Amino acid sequence: MPYSLYLPGNSWLHRLHPLTKLAFSLAAAVIIFAGPGEWLSAALPGLLAMLLLWRAGLAWHVASVSFRLLALLSCVLFLVHGFFNPHNQTILLALGPFAIGVEGLAFAALVVLRLAATLFASLLLVVATHPAHLVQALAEARLPYGLAYLLGSPLLLLPQIARRVQAIRDAQQARGLETQGSLLQRARALFPLAAPLIFSALVDVEERSLALEVRGFSAHHPKTSLKELADTPPQRLARWVMLLLAGLLFIAGVWSRTYGGR
Amino acid sequence: MSLNEQLKKDFSTLTLALMAVAIVLNIVLGQLVSLLKLPIFLDSIGTVLVALLAGPWAGGLTGLLTNLIWGLISDPVAVAFAPVAMIIGIVAGLCAKYGLFKKWWQAILSGAIITVALSFVAIPIRVYMFGGVTGSGADFVVAYLLATGKDLFSAVLITVISNNLIDKVVTALLAWGIVKGLHQRFTARFPRASAVTE
Repeated sequence: MPYSLYLPGNSWLHRLHPLTKLAFSLAAAVIIFAGPGEWLSAALPGLLAMLLLWRAGLAWHVASVSFRLLALLSCVLFLVHGFFNPHNQTILLALGPFAIGVEGLAFAALVVLRLAATLFASLLLVVATHPAHLVQALAEARLPYGLAYLLGSPLLLLPQIARRVQAIRDAQQARGLETQGSLLQRARALFPLAAPLIFSALVDVEERSLALEVRGFSAHHPKTSLKELADTPPQRLARWVMLLLAGLLFIAGVWSRTYGGR
Repeated sequence: MSLNEQLKKDFSTLTLALMAVAIVLNIVLGQLVSLLKLPIFLDSIGTVLVALLAGPWAGGLTGLLTNLIWGLISDPVAVAFAPVAMIIGIVAGLCAKYGLFKKWWQAILSGAIITVALSFVAIPIRVYMFGGVTGSGADFVVAYLLATGKDLFSAVLITVISNNLIDKVVTALLAWGIVKGLHQRFTARFPRASAVTE
């Protein structure tokens, strides 16, 4: 499980304003799941995301991450729906008492396509944007600072706490903790692993909030930042166009599903 | 107290720091449990902790953001279930507010209440967006029920209730135990924690 997906770099995708990439990811997700014409709406945003990533030299990285994340789910989807989808009518292959149906496979393929396309679009944001810059951009866009902090801080915290999990696991295993074996044995391993993690994380909370307060977290006047995020008028326009397009396609999608005789 | 004042009290800097840590705990513990191959998820323990310490709104927001962030970094399926995570936080917070988290057996009851509440949201999402399969171990239960001739909706209903009941009861019990085990100096700084500790 990769905890920090951000790849430091200086491609044109890295230099784009974080909100531009965020708007792309949001618009893509809306179109993929709610746009008209299921297959086309799912495929086009995914292809576009891949094209952009390829231009920035990040396509291979994103493709391999996505493959690792989706491989298992895809297998299960194809198996369950291929064999057991209640809408299965056309039989592709009969295996004893079971049969693989075309309708189920097509449904599973659509779900996998949607998930892959959404993942490409969201990784476009995550891989090429430092979490701290995303927080800064959201705060500059007048999102309440607390909310911007909640969206960005976990991304920065994850690698730290993941390292702590590793340390706790190593320590407990050194004491002879069994993390394999029967269900009861594995269930017993849960508490010695989870309790130190939860308690130590909660102890940190107080220190964190003090550190935030000392830096003027809840002060009301505007804050200056060391790093300035470059924004351009074409990007500002592009963000509105993307969100507008997503809104229109969402309405079109709802319309075609309601009146399209489905 | 006006809404604005209540919001300020519910979302102090301390609470925000707690929520950020809780979001990470949700994600990391979810991973830890799947590593141990246990038949539960435990990916909402941070959410329930926040709900007990800082109230239903902070809990709901923690759940919502957990799934959004989770989806952003690794699992688009999680985004679709963000409303479910939000319901868990809100309902857990309400249970605590009305005194249903004082004793261990009340925590178990609250876990059951949370399960019923989340099913109303989780089942439609699971059925209509993913056709019942989401890549967890529970999929095999769905497959089995489908093979015995159940329709998709009832197959998912049975799966969601049975899976979540164990998970949410364990989560609620653990969260109750943790809040009880925390030092009073810490819990005293959260105005809502007294509903559990006293």
